[in-house]
Amino acid sequence: MIRVRTWLGNPWGKPRFLVLFTALYLVWSIVPILIAIRFSFNEGRSRSTAQGWSLRWYTGDPDASVLHDPTLHSALAQSLRLAAIAVLVTVPLGVALAVGLTRWRGRGAGTARGISLATLVTPEIVMGTALLLVFIELLTFIPLGTVAQAIGHITFSIVFVVIIVRGRLLAIGPEYEEAARDLGASRLQAIRLALLPMLIPAVVASGIIVFAISMDDFVISAFLSSGTDTDTVPVRIYSQGRTAPTPALNALATVTLVLTIVIALVGFLLWRGVRAARGQTGSTVGEFAALDAEGVR
Amino acid sequence: MTQPLFDDNPMIASGLEPESGTLRIYNWNGYLDPKIKKGFAKEYGVKVEETFFTTTDEAVQKISSGAVDYDVFFPTQDRVGRLILGKRLQPLNLEYIPNLKNVWPSLQDPWYDKGSQYTVPYMTWTTGIGYRTDKIEKTPLDYANPYEIYWDEANRGKMFLLDDGRDAPAHMLLKNGITNINTEDPDDIALWEKELKSLYDMNVKVSTDDYTNIPEGKAWVHQMWSGSAIGAQWYLPEGVGTDALGFWFPADGVGTIGSDMMAVPKDAQNPVLAHHFLDYLLDVKNGYSNFANYVGYQPPLTKLDPDTLVADGVVPKNLKTAIVRESDFDKGLPLTELTPDGQVNWQNAWAEFRAGV
Amino acid sequence: MSEPGRRVGADGGRENRFWAGLALPGVVWLCVFFLLPFYVILCVALGSLDPILLTPAPEWNPLQWNTAAFEFVLDNLFTPGAAFETVFVRTFFYVLIATTLSLLIAYPVAYYVARYGGRWKGLLLVGLIAPFFISYLMRMLAWINLLQDDGWVNSVLVWVGILDAPRNWLDGRASSVILGLVYGYVPFMVLPLYAFLDRIDRSLLEAARDLGASPFQAFRLVTLPLSTPAILAGVVIIALPMFGDYYTPDLLSGAPQTSLIGNQINLYIRGGQQVPVGAALVVVLMVFLTVLMGYYLFATARAQRRLGG
Repeated sequence: MIRVRTWLGNPWGKPRFLVLFTALYLVWSIVPILIAIRFSFNEGRSRSTAQGWSLRWYTGDPDASVLHDPTLHSALAQSLRLAAIAVLVTVPLGVALAVGLTRWRGRGAGTARGISLATLVTPEIVMGTALLLVFIELLTFIPLGTVAQAIGHITFSIVFVVIIVRGRLLAIGPEYEEAARDLGASRLQAIRLALLPMLIPAVVASGIIVFAISMDDFVISAFLSSGTDTDTVPVRIYSQGRTAPTPALNALATVTLVLTIVIALVGFLLWRGVRAARGQTGSTVGEFAALDAEGVR
Repeated sequence: MTQPLFDDNPMIASGLEPESGTLRIYNWNGYLDPKIKKGFAKEYGVKVEETFFTTTDEAVQKISSGAVDYDVFFPTQDRVGRLILGKRLQPLNLEYIPNLKNVWPSLQDPWYDKGSQYTVPYMTWTTGIGYRTDKIEKTPLDYANPYEIYWDEANRGKMFLLDDGRDAPAHMLLKNGITNINTEDPDDIALWEKELKSLYDMNVKVSTDDYTNIPEGKAWVHQMWSGSAIGAQWYLPEGVGTDALGFWFPADGVGTIGSDMMAVPKDAQNPVLAHHFLDYLLDVKNGYSNFANYVGYQPPLTKLDPDTLVADGVVPKNLKTAIVRESDFDKGLPLTELTPDGQVNWQNAWAEFRAGV
Repeated sequence: MSEPGRRVGADGGRENRFWAGLALPGVVWLCVFFLLPFYVILCVALGSLDPILLTPAPEWNPLQWNTAAFEFVLDNLFTPGAAFETVFVRTFFYVLIATTLSLLIAYPVAYYVARYGGRWKGLLLVGLIAPFFISYLMRMLAWINLLQDDGWVNSVLVWVGILDAPRNWLDGRASSVILGLVYGYVPFMVLPLYAFLDRIDRSLLEAARDLGASPFQAFRLVTLPLSTPAILAGVVIIALPMFGDYYTPDLLSGAPQTSLIGNQINLYIRGGQQVPVGAALVVVLMVFLTVLMGYYLFATARAQRRLGG
């Protein structure tokens, strides 16, 4: 009791309870994944008990491994394809939208801002239903499958680019562009030369986020799929996980995870490089984590 | 009944070469041997790709909406009428399907599609009750009313019904001695809805993966399709023998019976190839291999003698009740198409049950 | 900070139009692929069914809207004991419990990392961000692996002695589904909470302590009120999507008694012949969520005012 009192009495000391709690949280959060990864190396068919070590489910098994089962690697290919399209379209679209929204005053600006943030609070099943119905009943020239899924991913992710970039813009302020304008640059030139370089961290961060969101997406990809050939990794995990699951699913998920991390790492290192080149100090990770709070205004 | 033919939905011309694209199949999971797909792909030099649906409702809706184009589809006979009327299936050119003669005579010219204008048969099945002999104390035969086993407390949490809005209610009707499983009487519908809901206390679950739930031990009692009972033997984990499987169907033959068929959707991109695929599956060798090695469901091929199937070791002795004969259709109760109002009432009642009210 | 657009003179209008023009492609995209689909949902819900195929026949003309589907849904929704009412109430409670549990877990973690992270902050943040890069389904898969009859959870609980025999966690329990929801959604709450808490001015806390407040009082009177916007934001970010979740109960249960409103919507939209009913359900859900969102905006504004803007 006395130790508790002393601990309570010193708020600047290490709060042991919080340390323990946070440690437990991190364990609870991440360890199951590590275990799932462990089982992907199982020699047997079990997904709940350890059964030896082998690469059977990655490359070995001639029917069911990720390498050989066409449904599994087509799912991986489809996920990567959609993620790439999503990043390439959403980032420019979102950056333009964010810059425009932040600086636009007057009628319509508030409404436009509202519309841009609305997807954030829309459950995916609502968006999936909406898009499915619009492609079936109205815009029938757009077939279900990759095109429809890509449109869904872009629509769903654009809000994250907006939030991140807007947050950065509000922190930067307009002084740099105004200075450039005073020196004779046109509006476009001011943006290109003064603003965009400062936005690079936000752009890279939003690209990473869009990539991760797209790889992770389930509901929209499932609703707008045209068949097994356009199933993504989460859709495959869900449908195969409910019927005849093998550790190949764990292997597929692990491969996807590794790919996502690699892409994110590449982006992160790029960003760190840019910051170092500019002489900025401080935690890059911290800046990344703080980006989202500002933009939701 | 003879299905109508429409001018704006013609069959393909005879004597065409099969296309070289990817054959797209829309089917139940576990209902087609991957080796068959590979064999067909090799023989015709094409790619074969299969997409799965989990419930009949889902499949019919996708085909009805016309939003996706598959080349081969496997409908059930109680939904096929509406798909034909709605021109979602194309009439078959039987000149591409000479193997149709291998089928049971009564199904070459079936009551639901006289002249096999739009469909050819694929698999026949019955709906009974599957169970794990090594896990449960009382089998359906130990009950005066075998359907009572669904309420056996000893199996709480391990009891499954089929996730099918026609099959599951049918067993509730049969439990109460109602043999018209296509009834549209509101009292009957209310009855089966009440019976289904009384199973909530048993933590009842619904699934169409009976062929894995039972062998994996997820389920000890499962409303089951006969083919799943036979097919379950290939999903048993190590150390569990086929004697752990059991299947019950009414001895007097008054139970749900059905026949699934193959059809070609109207907007198929590779219709000629699709016809060839249908013919391929009706070849006796392929049909037998599909059945005996992977699916477990029985194709209605004349050369397949139900009596020798046990002797050949294809069907374990304790699952003899799961074999379907042509004569079973005499007494069996097929599911037939409901009127639109009836369909809506059945569906609403089923949705209520699924809501866990 | 000065703001553009305040430049007076002939340039003002053009300035604005430039920024609006920049935003235009994005806004047009969202109108076509976000707003328009909502109108389509409305038209499907207020439409009819093709008589042969029973496929939806949307009614584009508002004057000919057919309210049958809505009447069915609303009637079912407000009749105690009916399917939609039961599922909706059940969803509401699951979300309420899961969100509360998530808050109880996320707040201490976010608070710790924000206030006491120190040297480890970067590493801790990586740990907090990690779940974003792991597919939700993969995390669920991992969790299900552990909950199998022969999985780790049972092994550990039996070994420790809490359980006598392995328990079937996946047989349709509400608790499994709720905990699954918590496991899946809590990472999405931790980060925004952290971001907000990180911004709280430490000097305010010091001032409170200097004035004689005990640590608990300082927390209760300074930190907690300051974190109200953070808590509200975190709650909204996970509760609203949770209302549409259907795959978590499917994976962790499969029993009708744990089905949520998302499952019903999925059943009607993708699995049956009554798509208008499904569409009407979606509209009702969105109206409900918009009301909740409105409350959030109101509550945040009020909290901001209380804190001095």
